[in-house]
Amino acid sequence: MKISILGTATTKFGELWNVSPRTLAREAMINALNASGLKASQIGALFVGNMLSGILGNQANLGSLLVEELGVAIPAFRIEGACASGGLALHNAINSIKAGQYKTVLVLGIEKMTDHSQDEIANALMAAGSDEERMAGATFPGLYALMAQAYMQKYKVTEEDLAAVSVKNHYHGTLNPKAQFQFPVTIADVMKSSKIADPLKLLDCSPISDGAAAVVIGNETSSKKVKKEVFIVASEVATDSLGLHARKSFTSLAAVVEAGEKAYKKAGLKPKDINVAEIHDCFSISEVIAVEDLGFSKKGEGALDIARNKRTLFKGDIICNPSGGLKACGHPVGATGIKQIVEIVEQLRGEAGKRQVEKAKIGLTHNVGGSGAVAAIHILRI
Amino acid sequence: MTTSPVKLWRRQKNVASLIGKKGKILQWTIIRVPVKSFVDSAPYSVVIVKVQNGENMIGQLVDWQKEDLKVGQEVVCVLRRLPTEEKEDVIYYNIKFKPL
Repeated sequence: MKISILGTATTKFGELWNVSPRTLAREAMINALNASGLKASQIGALFVGNMLSGILGNQANLGSLLVEELGVAIPAFRIEGACASGGLALHNAINSIKAGQYKTVLVLGIEKMTDHSQDEIANALMAAGSDEERMAGATFPGLYALMAQAYMQKYKVTEEDLAAVSVKNHYHGTLNPKAQFQFPVTIADVMKSSKIADPLKLLDCSPISDGAAAVVIGNETSSKKVKKEVFIVASEVATDSLGLHARKSFTSLAAVVEAGEKAYKKAGLKPKDINVAEIHDCFSISEVIAVEDLGFSKKGEGALDIARNKRTLFKGDIICNPSGGLKACGHPVGATGIKQIVEIVEQLRGEAGKRQVEKAKIGLTHNVGGSGAVAAIHILRI
Repeated sequence: MTTSPVKLWRRQKNVASLIGKKGKILQWTIIRVPVKSFVDSAPYSVVIVKVQNGENMIGQLVDWQKEDLKVGQEVVCVLRRLPTEEKEDVIYYNIKFKPL
């Protein structure tokens, strides 16, 4: 069965203090429905990817809350897998169609983070870690810093090499009107930004963001509005130990490798077939490890390939994070996995404007939860 | 942070069995922007340690100098108090690592 994209939308990402979570979600859902040409009453179910609503806002039961905004009483589910919540929601939505339960479903990713202080957010995000990590006072920048240390030592890579990821993604962000940060940064800017967890600095880290993104998917093109069909040809999820310390390797994420291999196999494709990818660059080191785990770069050469512009718009072979990625576009955690899909769909349809990847036919999204405890990989093609 | 007294009580038995065990640092970092409950301790070092005859553990390094922050540095498990957010919270002691 072919899974087709019928409509997509994202809100602006950023510090949206004047907007409530309901309003954010509503904007993404209504715009995705309008793009599909379908009415809410024609949708079989709603899947919501969200991590922090229960912890930060004391609001659970998001499914019911959000169908209320749609004005319909359809089945609705909230899916949580830390920063991979969006990717997991989409995976479950696809499976529900494949199972024959629904014909068309709406998938929303949403997070409202900037209503809360930085230490409250750091604390809430640590819900995605293990008990031992929380007792140690670890943070997510701290856990990825441990991976960065291990990677830098193993492959003789410098902090400047890692900084190239942020430079590239901020450049891409300047071309995306929905991005949280639309200004460029230099290697020197990254190097002199304040330290968060050694060796990671502020400009190695994705920001705290608000945003929502939505897609309507179906088992066939039941919409006249869709001119250029995009199909989801693989949707794979893998998990690993919750805590980082229990892993065999700190320089590769086994969940990404496994989900990636399964996705390539399902799609009948190889890494070199991918034209454009949205990568989960929650930290600079994350994108470096990701391009290696996904087979775009050889082990130990991910950072160097990025520094050599091999992942940069208009210059590279496999373009990574044309949206600006989590770093520049922003990282409202539950929304990220869906925003990645929206970006790839725009790229494959040739509707990405100034940041259009030339002749993009096949795209991939890489969405990771925790320090690599869960990964969701999707492959899309026209 | 874990604040349920029952949860803390359950963990306590395991903690006692680790005191005095030695291990080596596998990886280290310094946390400068902490979570809420550790705000008064920052900056502090968090390390992953391979404990002798045991599994890997993650925890804070205590009584350290800059030269102790290296892969392979020997450490010993010591009992240390964790910060409490509220005056009425149960005071909890957990394993931290001290350089040898």
